[in-house]
Amino acid sequence: MRLPGFEYLNPQNLDQTLDMLAEHKDEAKILAGGTDLLVRMKKGLLAPKYIISLKALDSLSYIKDESDCIKIGTRTPIADIIASKPVQKHARALFQACEKIGAVSIQHYKGTIGGNILQNNRCHHYNQSDFYRSGRQACHKDGGKICYAREEADRCNSTCQSDGATALMALGAGLTLAGKDNKREVELANFYTTDGIMPFAMESQELLTEISIPKTNGESAYKRLAYRSAIDYPIVCAGVLLESDNSDKIVRARIVVGAMGRAPLLLANAASKLKGKDMNDQATFKDAATAAMSSAAAFAVHNVGSTLEYRCAMVEEMVLQALKEI
Amino acid sequence: MATKISFILNGDKISYEIKDHWTLSYLLREEMGLIGTKEGCGNGECGACTVIVDKLAVNSCLYLAIDIDDKIVETIEGLASTDGTLHPLQQSFVDNGGIQCGFCSPGMIMSSKALLDENPDADREEIKHALAGNICRCTGYIQIFESVEAAKELAVEDKGGKNG
Repeated sequence: MRLPGFEYLNPQNLDQTLDMLAEHKDEAKILAGGTDLLVRMKKGLLAPKYIISLKALDSLSYIKDESDCIKIGTRTPIADIIASKPVQKHARALFQACEKIGAVSIQHYKGTIGGNILQNNRCHHYNQSDFYRSGRQACHKDGGKICYAREEADRCNSTCQSDGATALMALGAGLTLAGKDNKREVELANFYTTDGIMPFAMESQELLTEISIPKTNGESAYKRLAYRSAIDYPIVCAGVLLESDNSDKIVRARIVVGAMGRAPLLLANAASKLKGKDMNDQATFKDAATAAMSSAAAFAVHNVGSTLEYRCAMVEEMVLQALKEI
Repeated sequence: MATKISFILNGDKISYEIKDHWTLSYLLREEMGLIGTKEGCGNGECGACTVIVDKLAVNSCLYLAIDIDDKIVETIEGLASTDGTLHPLQQSFVDNGGIQCGFCSPGMIMSSKALLDENPDADREEIKHALAGNICRCTGYIQIFESVEAAKELAVEDKGGKNG
């Protein structure tokens, strides 16, 4: 498959990158690893005029272990995160998620954490070749007015299948976005629009520069279900975080379900079932998992393979497995 | 836009004028005629196009040619010696039935080589992990894993080929 033509820009530092983004805006796309962007371009889903490569920006590849948080640069390869001792210790859910991203050939060189978070939403009606899509009317995400995943839908229902984002949201991570004249921080949980066409609440001249994971006394875990253990995107995944006091009473709980909606779903209702309960009470885990299933089912549509019924049932299973692992 | 890049390909220093939007697999196959590297899916899912860049196995279909400037690239063509003697990994795939139709073999062998260069004592689990990004639709993988294991023994005796 051929890539459409573009002009390759190779900025040497962050300021140059932000200048280029501000100048070209929607006509430019950032290339970190390219494992999502280049595939989309090959399928004709987008054809940016400029590609801005982060190749020279080694300053965006780091993992800093600070007293109250772990900071990860946007261009850090997935393999570096898997190998990082602080991540393994304080953010186990992220470690487990990164292990499942792609395969060795994608993790250790091309795949980056920033790219994983910003991988575009997917739908099996949309992520198809030009030829396939040319035989039917365009869907919302393709610039049209219909949705093949849910009849009568007035907007795009594509699904966020990022492993990294699901784990990071469970961990309560925050993002730093830099533009030419501004820099802002946003919680990952508030970073999503509810529109599958442009799922991320960021401007075209902004660049994701850093991911910050707060350290807690809690434990986290991540579980995912996919057809194959490598390469495939998850069809259901779950990230959980539990914090308990000295007497094993749960004082804080976060449950996030991924690959079921336009963004990873932070399920407060399911998590509330755990608060104040005993860490070793398996029956409460089951309650929470069942609540997660009924909440998540409202968002999902049949668009990433397997049947909707099966994926909904597996939400309960993934949440339960993740909770039990803590 | 055209850009001039220089890199080391299978031990030879090469300068080449490329277009910005060429992928490494396009450069190797369509421009340089090195069709040993296969392109299967073109989306990073099948691993048939795996080559080694700076000692790491990568999918050449998702690697922009412009990004190999100043890097060291190894492809399947660089494995056998100039007199035709096969690299231990290639010989082992032949001897142990690791090849049926052969389309995945260049990718399998390059992924295996990257693994064994880094970790010559890789066990079965590590081999499975390293080959997780390579899909074979014929042999069912068992013979492939056995081939890589057998190659570990051969590699001690023979270090033939330009890429050693």
